[in-house]
Amino acid sequence: MTFKKFIKTVTFIEILKGMALTLSRFFSRSVTIQYPDERRPIAPGFRGQHALAKHPQTGEAKCVGCGLCATICPSQCIHVFREKGKVSRYEIEVLRCIYCGFCVEACPYGAVVLTENYEYSDYSKENLYMTKEKLLSNWDKYMPGNKGEEYFKRFWRPMSGDFETPSQQPMFRGKRS
Amino acid sequence: MDQVEKIFETRELNVNMGPQHPATHGVLRLVLDLDGETVVNVTPYVGYLHRGIEKLGESLSYFQALPLTDRMDYVSAMSNNIGYVVAVEKLFGIEAPERAKFIRTMVGEMSRISNHLLWLATHALDIGAMTVFLYCFREREWILELFEKICGARLTVTYPRIGGVRNDITQEFLESLWKFTEEFPSRILEYETLIDQNRMWLKRTIGIGVISAEEAVNWGLTGPTLRGSGVPYDVRKFTPYDAYDRVEFDVPVGTEGDTYDRYRCRMIEMRQSNNIVRQCIEKLPPGPIMADAPKFTLHPKDAMFPITHPTKEHAFYIDEKVCKGCGMCLRACPVKAITGEKKKPHKIDQAICLQCANCLAVCKFKALKIVPGGKGLSEDKLKELAQAPLPEEITKAKEHLVEHFTFIKRGPRAPEGDLYVATEVPKGELGFYFVSDGSGKPYRMRVRAPSFIHAGVLPRLCVGHLVADVIANIGTIDIVLGECDR
Amino acid sequence: MTPDTFIKFGIDVLIIVIKIAVVLVIGLLHVAYATYFERKVIGHMQVRLGPMRVGPHGLLQPFADGIKLFFKEDLIPEKADKVVFYLAPVIFMASAMVNLAFIPFSHNFIIADINIGLLFIFAIAGIGVYGIFISGWASNSKYAFIGGLRSSAQVISYEIAMGFSLVGVMIMAGSLNLTEIVRAQENSIFGMYAIPQIVGFVIFVIAAVAETNRTPFDLPEAESELVAGYFVEYTGFRFALFFLGEYIAMFIMASLCTVCFLGGWTLPWYVLKVLPFLQHVPGIVWFLIKVYAFIFFYYWIRATVPRYRYDQLMSIGWKILIPVALANILVTGLVKILL
Ligand code: SF4
Ligand code: SF4
Ligand code: SF4
Ligand code: SF4
Repeated sequence: MTFKKFIKTVTFIEILKGMALTLSRFFSRSVTIQYPDERRPIAPGFRGQHALAKHPQTGEAKCVGCGLCATICPSQCIHVFREKGKVSRYEIEVLRCIYCGFCVEACPYGAVVLTENYEYSDYSKENLYMTKEKLLSNWDKYMPGNKGEEYFKRFWRPMSGDFETPSQQPMFRGKRS
Repeated sequence: MDQVEKIFETRELNVNMGPQHPATHGVLRLVLDLDGETVVNVTPYVGYLHRGIEKLGESLSYFQALPLTDRMDYVSAMSNNIGYVVAVEKLFGIEAPERAKFIRTMVGEMSRISNHLLWLATHALDIGAMTVFLYCFREREWILELFEKICGARLTVTYPRIGGVRNDITQEFLESLWKFTEEFPSRILEYETLIDQNRMWLKRTIGIGVISAEEAVNWGLTGPTLRGSGVPYDVRKFTPYDAYDRVEFDVPVGTEGDTYDRYRCRMIEMRQSNNIVRQCIEKLPPGPIMADAPKFTLHPKDAMFPITHPTKEHAFYIDEKVCKGCGMCLRACPVKAITGEKKKPHKIDQAICLQCANCLAVCKFKALKIVPGGKGLSEDKLKELAQAPLPEEITKAKEHLVEHFTFIKRGPRAPEGDLYVATEVPKGELGFYFVSDGSGKPYRMRVRAPSFIHAGVLPRLCVGHLVADVIANIGTIDIVLGECDR
Repeated sequence: MTPDTFIKFGIDVLIIVIKIAVVLVIGLLHVAYATYFERKVIGHMQVRLGPMRVGPHGLLQPFADGIKLFFKEDLIPEKADKVVFYLAPVIFMASAMVNLAFIPFSHNFIIADINIGLLFIFAIAGIGVYGIFISGWASNSKYAFIGGLRSSAQVISYEIAMGFSLVGVMIMAGSLNLTEIVRAQENSIFGMYAIPQIVGFVIFVIAAVAETNRTPFDLPEAESELVAGYFVEYTGFRFALFFLGEYIAMFIMASLCTVCFLGGWTLPWYVLKVLPFLQHVPGIVWFLIKVYAFIFFYYWIRATVPRYRYDQLMSIGWKILIPVALANILVTGLVKILL
């Protein structure tokens, strides 16, 4: 053991350094978010609970019932029932959904979206079984105004732009080190 | 003495550690045979989190199976996703565009940082350093928020796609990521202040779980667990994928092969990853983010707009002259709007038809016509309109739509054959082995999960040490049971 | 016996009973808020907030915890040794509580001012380990068993180091009476023994942390290895007793440190010389400030360092602390003789 090391050992220097750090953190701001009172901002395009998009003019569901979403869904949790000329039931088992967002990508008609709602816990299974009505009302609740349009523009992928070079692409503009 | 042993049988204390135990990182179960505090035998039991991911992968199309990989190593889901898409791209023989490759490298390294943060957090917590745990989570949270910014999900990201990535990154994301990379090295220093030189940390990690280079290779260890023993094996260097051949980084190696060396390796790796992320941001080229491989990727939505846009009220009509009566459309129609006998022309009941285009996608004889704006018109009128040539854009859209339907219903077809592709995930070498029979689903999907192999080495590392070292050893091999059990 | 002496005796008893009541209430309230204090301190050190929900800034959290523990189902392992299982937390808690009697909170506030106070505290604290050990044994659980074994070994070895570290103080003060020790410090050059007895002080601090099973020596509890160690099978109120016992033991250790090394309720003379108005502050305030500073130190350590391994802990105790403490005694003795 060298002398330096001995001094380091008996003075507990590394522990004191650690303690200085914890003490400085003691006086720094905490990062806790008091959840039900405060909420962290949700990034746009968050993959939360579903909504069925409404036709901008008629206000009816855009869904035509092609069933592609039900086909692509890896957890097979979408059920589409049709009846003469209309979609009679469109149901999503929220408890089975893994929020992969494939249904949105598969739908050629832009009829289903994922909203920012992540607070849908409930005591009964029925309430977590999303029917067409609930999904449509989700649209009004979470995609008001032209938020829905924005959503489709940015998160309904792919678009032709993804296969070519768009003019305005995010690039690093800072200083290079 | 003999007499005593005859009456009182002596044997090792048999302790069940797990599957519910705070330090077994999930549901690992270890059965320890203890002689006092010394471990004489360890038997790991795995499988408590088995969900049959390999088998599920065989029943889903290549496109659909992607979210399964999120759920293997949920701590670094992004890296697993990348591992999968890189393997499938190889199988399909397609290549992602440059920009996508850089983005994938970038997010992959972010995921490595987040994984190592969680590893350090839990490893330190197991050894008793509680504060490191929360400091690490502070930064991990930051990364998860960045993930949320790009793809809308924090943990199970499902962001890369076969042939590219889901969506382009935003300027805002780039800037906040840059800020993160500037801040992060000082945060690493913070963790190191707490434990790096701490005498207790040193005592708990130096000389614990020593494994020589040769033995580590024989046990099949990979990743930092192997590099701690001094073997500079890193898939990113040996068989570079994505953009790893265009960024500079070092592969840190240890010398002793003990817990402390593995810890050092991972700490340096975090710094390296941080550098890689910075390089990726700087070098990010402009360009497409999806490969131009129409058979293997989803089709652009806007290209289908002439048919699928909600304001378009098209009708579908079967041209009696062309229809061969094969019945494909009849089977595809979800509402049974199509009637007709075999070998005879079929007919769509416009009152029932949903205009969903399923029939359009399956008719091989081009008998199905789109009648622009024909919704609600009478049969005769439709017949008349159906003869008119379609505008260019609708023909194009029709092609895309048909392929889109086929893609989703059957999945992208892989060529026959088998291949093994390895990528470097934070835990080690993640390999995907596919046997393809030429259909849209793999005939066999096998995952070489580093966690599984690392869990196997636990007895080798623990025997002869004390109970407390078992905990340190579980931490040092960095396993996630989701990946181990699959 | 005249009625006069009788009344005098009665008043004496009454005063003692009141004192006991005061100390007990302070002790229990202390425990309640020591847990709160701990969670807040460690929380803020870890950039969290700690309890915030019950009452303003979580101030009522200790009561919520207490009520919860009180009403929780009381589970007893099937093959547990029932009588011993019931007894263990009581022994643990009682031994910690009894020690409160010998702590001089102020120059005139002590329940039992006995001549061998220091020794007595050791003796009673030593009984506490029986509570730990038999709880580990009676639980009929392997984790609890290992925890109990570890704990008894640990407490026994660290008690020696701690005792030795205090011998220096005894030599300097020339007394085992805690009040006397404080008085002796008041009149010494440095005003507190922590300065001349720095070696003993450091050893005492380390041993005190180990003695109360706190990080980095919390091996008997080691939540990541043994889940909770010896009281893993205890629920509800019995668990609460262990909890109370632990925090009271911490309080005892902090008080002992204050009395023996930090000058108890007194302030060093040089401080009073510079800031003379401070002598109007009652001694108990200084005492409590010192005690809580020490307890804060406990928490601070807990927020900073990892945990030792069992064998390392033992080797530190026997191979480092005890020899160093012995050397300290030798040096102190020599200096005392020579001066
Ligand atoms: S998000 Fe994924 S799992 Fe959920 S319904 Fe859509 S496709 Fe199915
Ligand atoms: S939501 Fe879209 S994909 Fe699903 S049935 Fe409706 S139109 Fe088809
Ligand atoms: S468009 Fe859809 S509903 Fe109409 S006939 Fe074709 S498959 Fe049936
Ligand atoms: S698939 Fe085409 S050819 Fe076959 S029955 Fe339908 S319309 Fe006629």
